[in-house]
Amino acid sequence: MVIGYKPGTTADRRRPHFIRTPEEADQLVLDSACITNLSGYLVSEGLLSDEKAVAIFLKPDGIRSINILAAEAQLNIDQILILGFDINDNQVTALEGEKVEEFATLIESIKEQAPDALKNPLLEKIEGMTPKERFTFWQKEFSRCIKCYACRQACPMCYCRRCIVDCNQPQWVNTSSHTLGNFEWNIVRAFHLSGRCVGCGNCDRACPVNIPLRLINAKMAQEVLGSFDHFAGMSHTQEPVLASFKKDDSETFIL
Amino acid sequence: MNELFEPEIVAFVCTYCTYAGADLAGTSRLKYAPNVRIVRLPCTGRISPMFILKALQKGADGILISGCHPGDCHFTHGNYHARRRWMVFRALLEFTGIPSERVKYSWISAAEGGKFADLMNSITEDIRKLGPFDQYKALIKETEAPATF
Ligand code: SF4
Ligand code: SF4
Repeated sequence: MVIGYKPGTTADRRRPHFIRTPEEADQLVLDSACITNLSGYLVSEGLLSDEKAVAIFLKPDGIRSINILAAEAQLNIDQILILGFDINDNQVTALEGEKVEEFATLIESIKEQAPDALKNPLLEKIEGMTPKERFTFWQKEFSRCIKCYACRQACPMCYCRRCIVDCNQPQWVNTSSHTLGNFEWNIVRAFHLSGRCVGCGNCDRACPVNIPLRLINAKMAQEVLGSFDHFAGMSHTQEPVLASFKKDDSETFIL
Repeated sequence: MNELFEPEIVAFVCTYCTYAGADLAGTSRLKYAPNVRIVRLPCTGRISPMFILKALQKGADGILISGCHPGDCHFTHGNYHARRRWMVFRALLEFTGIPSERVKYSWISAAEGGKFADLMNSITEDIRKLGPFDQYKALIKETEAPATF
């Protein structure tokens, strides 16, 4: 199978396309509108269970997702062929390599640029606020959430068969979409993606009420990079940052 | 505020160190602020960040999370895992406007009854100065309002 893109409902949209025969190949498109990270489809139920190879179109963020999914034992990298591409100034360029290991140097260079790439004026503005102002800012944002969970469905890293918000014994997160429940949901989502988010933006684009979800994730990416030198998706053997530790991890805040 | 504000503080502690420390404070007859409710867990590694959110949801003004000093964990490394998680979760709370003054972390061993009592007192005083967590309580109140159509 090949997972790629085909034209969507409007001129600037693309939708995922799954082809199984060579004849279908000319249905595929690849242009600067192909920004969705498709890697999440690989872990949809049964897709990889026949153990046949799957080729998938991926940008560097998607390639990092493959590493994370493999490191978290969700897929076997031997089964995945990568059709890598990147988009710069609306130009699509092909990336060399087909196995995920072959992109290691590319990912290394992305990590080096990450401290600058993760910078964001709004993020800095929020950091400069008082806690009260920050709370008010997010209260306003989260009050619009309708708990549709589109952000979760769109995220390649949100593959749990049973999400914590679906558990009701005990019910950790309020299910109704009042601001308190929305606050809790968005905090939990951000926490579970800390050190795992690749910043692909699937969540942002899926959110019907335009909550800047990626901003919180970017903040958490900065945090794990600064505190533990962890950059998500470096390799398929990278230890998940919150399932590992160093005895000399910093602890300035513990009394 | 005319009356002295009595904050509600929840302490999530591991049974092997901090709970034993709290016990020692008790058997040594050390007096400490009665504002703290202790929840005992097997290990700091078992203290999920969900507990913090739940405590806030139930109206806590302050939270303490405490366990064995690094190297002393009964399960050898539960507290190392916990420390990483706290580090990240703390930054997240800070970023979303839940002040870090309200959520504290400590290492208290079974021998540190005095440290336990002192910390309970100082945390209670600190939170008393901050006052109730009004912003969060307003959200809780909103959930109690009858539905409108
Ligand atoms: S949280 Fe959003 S940006 Fe991060 S990996 Fe998931 S969908 Fe992509
Ligand atoms: S996509 Fe947006 S509205 Fe839907 S649950 Fe996520 S944050 Fe809330």
